[in-house]
Amino acid sequence: MKTIQFKMLTIGVLLLAGLTGTVNAQDATTIMKKVDDVMYAPKDMRAVNKIVLTDRNGRTDTREATIAQMGTNYRIFRFTKPASQAGISVLSLPDDVMYLYMPAFGKVRRISSSIKNQNFAGTDFSYDDMESKPLTEKYNGKLLKTEGNTYVLQLTPKSQRSAYSKVIMSVNKENFYPVEMQFYDRGNHEIKVAQYTFIKIGKYWNTEKITLKDLKKDHTTSMIMSDVKYDTGLTKNDFTVRKLQE
Amino acid sequence: MKRVQVIIGLLIIVMVFHISPIRAQNQLKLSGYLQTDQRILLQSPNDWVWNENRLSLQLDKKVSGKAKFHSEVWLRNMGIPNISTASDLYNLNIIDPWNLEIREAYVQVTGFLSKNLDMAIGRQRIAWGTADKMNPTDNLNPYDFEDILDFGRHRGSDALNLNYWFNTNTSLQAVYIPFFRPDNLPVGMFANIFTMPFMLPAGLSVNRFSDSVQMPQYNFRESSTYGVKLKGLIGGFNVSISYVWGWNGLPDDIYNTFIPVDTTGSVNIRSTLTFHRHHIFGADLAGNIGGVGIWAEAALFLPANDVVMTNNLSALYPTSPVPVTQQTTLLKKQAYVKYIVGGDYFFANGGYLNVQFLHGFVNEVGRGNLNDYLFARYEQKFLNDKLNVIPLSGAIIVSDWKEVKNNYAVAYMPEVSYMATDNAELSVSAVFFKGKGDNLFANLNGYNMLVFKVKYSF
Repeated sequence: MKTIQFKMLTIGVLLLAGLTGTVNAQDATTIMKKVDDVMYAPKDMRAVNKIVLTDRNGRTDTREATIAQMGTNYRIFRFTKPASQAGISVLSLPDDVMYLYMPAFGKVRRISSSIKNQNFAGTDFSYDDMESKPLTEKYNGKLLKTEGNTYVLQLTPKSQRSAYSKVIMSVNKENFYPVEMQFYDRGNHEIKVAQYTFIKIGKYWNTEKITLKDLKKDHTTSMIMSDVKYDTGLTKNDFTVRKLQE
Repeated sequence: MKRVQVIIGLLIIVMVFHISPIRAQNQLKLSGYLQTDQRILLQSPNDWVWNENRLSLQLDKKVSGKAKFHSEVWLRNMGIPNISTASDLYNLNIIDPWNLEIREAYVQVTGFLSKNLDMAIGRQRIAWGTADKMNPTDNLNPYDFEDILDFGRHRGSDALNLNYWFNTNTSLQAVYIPFFRPDNLPVGMFANIFTMPFMLPAGLSVNRFSDSVQMPQYNFRESSTYGVKLKGLIGGFNVSISYVWGWNGLPDDIYNTFIPVDTTGSVNIRSTLTFHRHHIFGADLAGNIGGVGIWAEAALFLPANDVVMTNNLSALYPTSPVPVTQQTTLLKKQAYVKYIVGGDYFFANGGYLNVQFLHGFVNEVGRGNLNDYLFARYEQKFLNDKLNVIPLSGAIIVSDWKEVKNNYAVAYMPEVSYMATDNAELSVSAVFFKGKGDNLFANLNGYNMLVFKVKYSF
């Protein structure tokens, strides 16, 4: 009798554990979908992106670029400052197709997709970090806890080629915008931490500033968005080699 | 006087266009860079072999929403004072040589006549090809060989350039260049790099050499260059096919008159040089395979006629009842193909590897005269891209695979560059040449040098 009771208890605990796991997974997926809905709500966006690089001695370098983006797959990034980089432009298209325009050479070059292995233009952001892929496409999620006004999720990359083993993301409960992301390498060491501040522009929540710190190098990159305009009517014709050279 | 005119010219441009350093719609934007490039031989007594101080001024203006103007002007202090007589001391251009060059000046209109048609008119660089710097299909603009280490440099051409876009990926480009302008030859220590050894008949030696160059007639039919190119995206690869009816930019020696000056076999030679026409059929592609960027490019050259060199030896045989001449075919009217294949890869640690194999350098023409070149470069970036170390950069050339040990060359050019500020870049590199036989870099054997550059962008 005791044996039967123990078995039933064990099955009950296992079922409960499994059920809890499912609930957590569903919660995480729901939260991630809501984050995606908030972050990728606009049809398109134009903005000015100021990039401030700060080294361990507090010395700063500043870059500036204009950015135009449509959906999650179309983006043109044009450097306007400093003068040594002004005019250099990157066009990102679906299926990892990327083009680089360097005014000094007067032509557009197809870029190897392996560039995604590297950091973007000397910043602490990798091309992977810069990618506008929805969270639900990139990661499997798990809700770790709720803490104050945030959900804390563990995100595990779906791609084996990702540089990260996991990402711990805190999400604002009210507007589902990410507040902080901690990135862990394949050895499970925390290597980067990103903090987000956001404001509402019209009907959309917008990232006003992202500060990403490389913990190993003690180097920080801040991206500050300004002159943000949403739903300006961009089409695929605005994301072409023809446009890149204009 | 020339300097005053230039300064006045620049002032007029400033006043007319109201230059603003701030990027603003419909205002003239001034940008550019100042670069010094200094080279000394590594071998004692360390001769100074290159001194170039270049001010590049770029002016951009959006004329309207659809039209823009772009120009680039180089103002350069170039070379080392070459004073041989006292009268040279009166000439500032000899004491302190400088020059002014309009590299580009064109107007580009997007959506010209039709929303799918773009037009650019004026002096412009029209760069074709998918390979890195070495482009067999890039034949519209003349080569600028002034600095042979600046591989692939071209000058702009006065051209009409039309691009019709069928869709976002497919376009047809048509280019018309009314005036033929030849390639400019290397200067300074590189001056003789393209000079082929002159094969004299047995028993003769050169006393004096003079030449004249015959340029094509400058009319619609003779001097023009035409080009068309169809571009598209197939299976994820950017592909294009092209055709050019143009001129070879380097001259051919077609007629030599030998005039005896004494009885010991010493002769004066008068040469006539001219340029040959050719058809060029090109194709290229670029894409990715497994994260590796790859490209390939090929150009089939078909000379319009045989190029024949005639040596007139009649003056050496005054009693001969008929003219005494020798004829050698320099280039047959038969197709030859230059091609390049290459790839690159970005490593997660900030490294970058670029490898290319080239068959047929820019100065090589004719089947059987094309050499093989393997170029490789590895860069490693540090300090958030501020420091760039290039431990591997160079080329291996083989001009005869049957006897490689006497027909090869190696060029090795390691470099370190550092962005001292956002806009100031310093670089130091060394250049080593070693080789044997008759090829481009073997001719530079022993000219190992140290190169120091500073570039400030504004």
